[in-house]
Amino acid sequence: MKKILPVDELARDSRFVRARIEDAITDPRQARLAERNTGSAKLEPDRPAAGDRARQLMHGIFVGEIQALEGAGRTTFDFDDEEVPFQLKLDMARQCWDESRHCEISVKLAEHMGTEIGEFTEATFLYEAACAPDPLLRLTGVNRALEGLAIDVFNTMKEFGDSSGDPVLAACEDWMLADEVTHVKMGSDWLRRLTETDPERRERALEFQRTVDKLFSLGGFRGETDENPIQLARRFREMAGFSSDEIDELSEVATEAQQEARAAAGLAPSS
Amino acid sequence: MTEPSAPRAAFAPWDRRELPGLFGVVESARRVGNYKWIEMRLFEALGGWVATVPELDVKLVLGRQCYHHAWHAELWNKRLPELREMNTERLTQPPNEEMVAFVDALRDPEAPELTIEKLVGVYRVLLPRKIAAYTFHMNATSKITDAPTIRSLNFILQDELEDWREGEMLLQSLIQTPEQVERATRRQQELEQLMVGAGGITGPGSLGNADGTAVAVGEATEEASQGVGVG
Repeated sequence: MKKILPVDELARDSRFVRARIEDAITDPRQARLAERNTGSAKLEPDRPAAGDRARQLMHGIFVGEIQALEGAGRTTFDFDDEEVPFQLKLDMARQCWDESRHCEISVKLAEHMGTEIGEFTEATFLYEAACAPDPLLRLTGVNRALEGLAIDVFNTMKEFGDSSGDPVLAACEDWMLADEVTHVKMGSDWLRRLTETDPERRERALEFQRTVDKLFSLGGFRGETDENPIQLARRFREMAGFSSDEIDELSEVATEAQQEARAAAGLAPSS
Repeated sequence: MTEPSAPRAAFAPWDRRELPGLFGVVESARRVGNYKWIEMRLFEALGGWVATVPELDVKLVLGRQCYHHAWHAELWNKRLPELREMNTERLTQPPNEEMVAFVDALRDPEAPELTIEKLVGVYRVLLPRKIAAYTFHMNATSKITDAPTIRSLNFILQDELEDWREGEMLLQSLIQTPEQVERATRRQQELEQLMVGAGGITGPGSLGNADGTAVAVGEATEEASQGVGVG
């Protein structure tokens, strides 16, 4: 088995449908959709399409969990003993178990919410971030940026479960949220440990994280206003080792991305 | 009322643990180093394979069991300094080059249509060998002097047996045609031959020697034999 498995070799059964995030972003229909004034974009039960959005998000969580499992697994294999500390490999193996469990939870939750595997497409950006040749970039790109996004997503879904009267959804999301805080903290801790004497490497890794974070703030997907479907979970991010400055920066990136999206759609900037 | 001043034996009548065991400190440490090495190579393989298997149930089982073996490696890593090996990397080694060849062959399959070959290597060749060597260690070493190793072995063997059963059931569900039976059998034969060449996961003597000793063949040094007598 070779080191670094390319994304196009990810093994899937016939139910899965692959999509490229670039295609979704450049889809000309997106601008037309953005013109619609549907009020608050927050995931709330009184929105007419909230159920469908939640099911789609659940499917997105599921395929994200598969890729997180695959990414953590590859990190246990792709690097020799001299390249990464033994304890880091153990952490990645632990993350494999957690992500495997999250896949199981997600499959059960998807059934509970009325969707099935393959109903929505799978974009593979998470695994792509997990293919970085430097293990530190994987820790910032996946553990801090994407698992950080998972904190925001799970918290949003948990709140949706609470507000829509679905205790099963709320409880399951809360369990996964606890694990994600652990994974992000792993990323924060290893970033600190591996770059204690190498500030340049640290900056490169954080730059990669910012790039991934910006990608996931595109179109205002994540932020702190009613226009953002996914809300930044400040408290849990702090528990996971994010500083207030880092969270503020994320919030600013989200606002900028949202304004860019509005401008692209020919809409006036939001206040 | 109990009589607090009444003397009682240190060992209750039902406690039949004895001294000595077959292993000295050095031999136990050598084996533990081999265990850690094979657990590491196994958890890496399972982790690496997750992305290469299309079967969703297999993918999730590999992800779960990857951590089991990582945890075993961690337990052995903690045990090594207690066995006087402060540089744990020194003993984190395969027993011989033949074992390296076995592991290379075990981890070789990559293509998505080779799930049977991947699982046969783990569940029909390696895990049975690990269970055997761990069981031998547990039976051969002193349950008094080497009790910390025994405790870890108990935890690990429980995982190994449950994981083996789960993997074997996955295999039985995947092997459906005569051609698949042939593939599984051929793969087992190839790997079993390599494993026999290595002598087991701790090399020759993995399950003890015909003369009743437990020290690896050719390594029966005075130091390695320490502790065989009550001393």
